[in-house]
Amino acid sequence: MMAPAGVRRSGRILLATLIGFLLAAPLFYMVAGSLMSNEQLSIQPPQVIPSSLHFENYSQALSGVTQVIQARSFLNSVIFTVCAVGLQWMLCVSGGLVIAKMRFRGRMLITVMFAISLFIPLVTTLIPTFIVTYKLGLIDSYAGLILPIAAQTGFGTLLFRQFISQMPEELFDAARIDGANWWGILRRIVIPLAKPATAAYLAISVLTAWNMYLWPLVAAESGSLQVLTQTLALVGTTGQGQVTPQNVIFASVVLVTLPMIVVFLCVQPAFVRGLTGSGVE
Amino acid sequence: MVTRIPQMPNTAVASLSSSTVRAKPISSRHDGLAAALMIGPNLILFTTFVVVPVVAGLMLSFTTWDITNGFPKWVGLANYRRMYSDPLVWTSVKTTLKFIVVGVVPTVVISLGLAMLINFRFRFVGVVRSLYLIPAAMSFAASAVVWRFLFLDGPGYGVINYVISLFGVTPPDWLGSPTWALYALDIVTIWLSLPIATILYLAALQRIPDAVIEAAMLDGAGPWRRVRFIIWPGVRYMTLLVAIISLLAFTNGSFDLVNILTKGGPLYATQTLIYYIFVNGFSYGAFGYASALSVLLIALIGGILLLLRLLSKVTLR
Repeated sequence: MMAPAGVRRSGRILLATLIGFLLAAPLFYMVAGSLMSNEQLSIQPPQVIPSSLHFENYSQALSGVTQVIQARSFLNSVIFTVCAVGLQWMLCVSGGLVIAKMRFRGRMLITVMFAISLFIPLVTTLIPTFIVTYKLGLIDSYAGLILPIAAQTGFGTLLFRQFISQMPEELFDAARIDGANWWGILRRIVIPLAKPATAAYLAISVLTAWNMYLWPLVAAESGSLQVLTQTLALVGTTGQGQVTPQNVIFASVVLVTLPMIVVFLCVQPAFVRGLTGSGVE
Repeated sequence: MVTRIPQMPNTAVASLSSSTVRAKPISSRHDGLAAALMIGPNLILFTTFVVVPVVAGLMLSFTTWDITNGFPKWVGLANYRRMYSDPLVWTSVKTTLKFIVVGVVPTVVISLGLAMLINFRFRFVGVVRSLYLIPAAMSFAASAVVWRFLFLDGPGYGVINYVISLFGVTPPDWLGSPTWALYALDIVTIWLSLPIATILYLAALQRIPDAVIEAAMLDGAGPWRRVRFIIWPGVRYMTLLVAIISLLAFTNGSFDLVNILTKGGPLYATQTLIYYIFVNGFSYGAFGYASALSVLLIALIGGILLLLRLLSKVTLR
């Protein structure tokens, strides 16, 4: 016998909500833990609701002897994300226009190369990429941190190519008849019309750059280029004779992660469009 | 770019097959020079940091080289022979494959289930869906820090082991046990990969008209038959993409999480191939050998991708 439809529907809503909270539980726990006293964090059974709110954990994460987040690494993360994504965006939108609308030999070859590169993530070519960067004398510089990442243009170029190729040919013909050159077309037609594709691209790339760990780890040997993921990894690494209290660690993770969670929730639809490969909605 | 966030093969596949792209031959116009100037900077950077490393990696795999002084020395197949007789290579290949299979398969299955669960309208559906998606904004580094605490063992159990102990079972020391450490890393990576996989399946599910499912229900099709004959045919094209994206995510996770949480231990139990490459290159300075191992890694990932494609061809028929 089946339960009545209404009951089944409520049951499904309840189940969906419960599982949602279960999946997000580590995040809620992280926020709760960041507000607890260290004593409360270490008692059994584990506590999930702070008995009193210890906002000083946050100031301790940002200053004093327990400081985890240095202004310098925050700034480095911002510089790295903005420059890598900004530069890559310019390369991708112009490259996308070239492959989508311009006629020249070798277009297919370039497209295929970009497509293949999607399946060779940087982690698999880490060693030779490091060597190339090293031989160019760029290790331990912002250029060495940013350029190899901005150079991963395969995904973005193909995303913009797909979006731009759907723009009507007449638009481009008309602009050319009016005497516009390709740079004019890029600035006045393509970039304004490709805003949805740009949103999708930015949603994915900003998140990726901000969360990147491996390349900054090998490209920035000195502490002055450290980014936030490295900072977190250092306090999170097992067996490092941990001195930072756990509640301060949680507060640090919240400080690093919260901006991205907020951004992510705002740009979620653009993110989905980028993933499913359709710049168009 | 490189992370668990997909670098969308879908885009790649679509761009290779789409025929709408070809410009109509209105005239015999050639944009050679303008095109070269415009795509030049892109291609120069792409070549320098993507194409050259792939080629250079292949060449360096036939050399030994201490990069800080002198030139690479040609040694022929010596690195590959050494690889063949290096037991740690075989362990790390096995560990990598195990990490990927134990992670990707549940990610695909669970995300389809989750997508089906949240594919209907109700009040606050947006808020509930957000709960499913938020972990996608987390980095491996941040997740590692949080999960390390959840996995704690010993007198002050972490939450996970506390819950397990409630069932009267002695919980494992997750990150400290050779048996369980790899599964612990898998759990974290699955948790991080589910949101994106779920988003993709949800997008596919939303293309199935409600009317079709309702009609099937009126015809008396039970849940199993609905999944088998309506939902699965509607979403299976997405499965290849979900599997590829998860594969790339697990490839990345097999470095980030290992380096932060276990350093390849305990007893090499979590030494993935990527981590072994990293250690050889950056701890031992064996860049030639590390390059040979990188070739093996690319072949391994390429092999899995081919297998996935073959599988999807067979099942889509």
